[in-house]
Amino acid sequence: MHEVEIAVVGAGPAGLSAAIEAARAGAKVLLLDENRKPGGQLFKQIHKFFGSKAHYAAVRGIDIGCRLLDEAQESGVETWLNIPVWGLFGNHTLAVIRDGRAQTVRAKKIILATGASENALSFPGWTLPGVMTAGAAQTMMNIHRVLPGQRVLMVGAGNIGLIVSYQLLQAGGEVVAVIEAMDQIGGYAVHAAKIRRAGVPILVSHTIREAHGREQVEAATIVQVDEQMQPIPGTERRLGVDTVCLAVGLTPLAELGWMAGCGFAYIPDLGGFVPLHDENMETTLPGLYVAGDITGIEEANSAMEEGRLAGLAAAEALGYLREEAISRKAEVRQRLDSLRLGPFGEKRQRAKERLLGECRGQLAKQEPPDVSKSCQDLTRSRITVVTGVLSLEELAGSPGYPSQERLRSGKVAVIECMQQIPCDPCVGACPRGAISIAPTITDLPVLDAEKCNGCGLCLPACPGLAIFLVDLTFSPTETLVAFPYEYLPLPKVGTEVEAVDREGHVVARGRVVRVQNPPRYDRTPVISIAIPKEFAQVVRSIKRSGKR
Amino acid sequence: MRVVDHPILGKLPEGRTVEITFDGHPLEALEGEPILAALLAHGIQRCRTTVKRREPRWFYCGIGRCTDCVMIVNGIPNVRTCVTTVGAGMKIETQEGLGRWERADA
Repeated sequence: MHEVEIAVVGAGPAGLSAAIEAARAGAKVLLLDENRKPGGQLFKQIHKFFGSKAHYAAVRGIDIGCRLLDEAQESGVETWLNIPVWGLFGNHTLAVIRDGRAQTVRAKKIILATGASENALSFPGWTLPGVMTAGAAQTMMNIHRVLPGQRVLMVGAGNIGLIVSYQLLQAGGEVVAVIEAMDQIGGYAVHAAKIRRAGVPILVSHTIREAHGREQVEAATIVQVDEQMQPIPGTERRLGVDTVCLAVGLTPLAELGWMAGCGFAYIPDLGGFVPLHDENMETTLPGLYVAGDITGIEEANSAMEEGRLAGLAAAEALGYLREEAISRKAEVRQRLDSLRLGPFGEKRQRAKERLLGECRGQLAKQEPPDVSKSCQDLTRSRITVVTGVLSLEELAGSPGYPSQERLRSGKVAVIECMQQIPCDPCVGACPRGAISIAPTITDLPVLDAEKCNGCGLCLPACPGLAIFLVDLTFSPTETLVAFPYEYLPLPKVGTEVEAVDREGHVVARGRVVRVQNPPRYDRTPVISIAIPKEFAQVVRSIKRSGKR
Repeated sequence: MRVVDHPILGKLPEGRTVEITFDGHPLEALEGEPILAALLAHGIQRCRTTVKRREPRWFYCGIGRCTDCVMIVNGIPNVRTCVTTVGAGMKIETQEGLGRWERADA
């Protein structure tokens, strides 16, 4: 029997944040994880995170992970790794396996931050070698540095499907297509735009019918579906692929909560059954807290904030922090609220409110939110998000797009960010204060094109890689277009390149004028190319070279 | 295939290598990597076969949850190769069905 004040199960973003806050408050904290390394899924997130500049936005997940590990160590958190927690008895006793033996850990407060698991999708051939979850592919290439396949079909166009597709390209793989059963992508348009301009097709209203092969995947048949999600005969297409990645959602990993007997609610918008919790992240069992994806599928930023909240609350309940706790918790709640604004967050915010309501025993009397109206209409009415490629008309009407007049007068930033997502690093990146996002973090970036001098510092700061630079005055016949380019090899200055549009089609020849990749760009190189003037609003990248 | 150079992660650090055997054939692995990654780097796409139909299986989740990638490691069946680190001289075998324990006294 090992005794501690606070035990935290799971050393991902939520668990680490909870442990750090509680330890900083003065509590003796034990952090447990079944893996050999802490960090949960953070170390496979090699992209820059969205969010508030105050909290890790535009920092890559891997680097956030390193910071959290340092903070955990500095704050005196004791960490047990490679130790599976297999049981939770009552609200104070954990059963673990340590050095091959069963052992118990008794804690005054327990915080469950066990995360989520990836959903499966079954279809003929889904057990063949080569069919795997998107997270598996991500783990192999980004952590273990082995590419799981050369030609990939991605099933699911939520943020995970879109991001992992992008990362497969970065690792040297080819993504033959991304398919999505819904009639529009579920993830952010900027994530989709990145792979679209890399030439990856996104087929909405499509699902996988079968994976073919004897020993491993050799091909896959996809099929279009109608509004009732039924396959439309005659629309089958066979794609030559060696890998099928499944990115079809996540389910909270709440076994320990079930075992302990805490209250649950079934909330589809949060990924299924989730433990009820109050404003302090405490479950219906006193002293048992939850944080992160176990309380509903969100993303790493929210997980970290929930972790902080649970850590503060657990420490407070033990007598630490005192008055300070109220204001600290309020700050975290405010940040959590801001992460749940906008069309993407609103659904989660309502679901969370329902969770809190049920926890109070006030089985939500109000009408269930009409999600079809409130959320989807918001994303739809503003822009065409079907596959993430925006039309010139839509862009011209956005507050981040400079006027034709300003464009004609010289170098200026062009912000192609048109969804209300919680993200604001571009604001802080501009030394002239030309970009504003107000009043909330989910408002669209507004470009004051008169203040913008086209320095380009906002380009590498944008986690969505959605800001470009256009200089119509570059030469009498040529326009300069600059764009972020996170692939290898980088083109060389002076070489000819094939310039592509937002859908990856080669539309013109270009010449590389500049390649900028200073440390402060944090591995987001910016390439400037000269192209014929008429393509100024069309060209947004270059065709990637097949050679590594 | 190993991702030797990467736009974000940089060059693959030159680590020490260890030798393992796969179904009797010697293979080079990188110290500290999971068995599965070493096999994948050598193009091996099968960990086991199923009990009834002897269908091939490889990895599915890659993080130790699904158990699709279990193999016989140093004579012990059902070892999750995606979360088990390679060791010098490690004997890795394709697991047919439930596999077979190697008796220590045999």
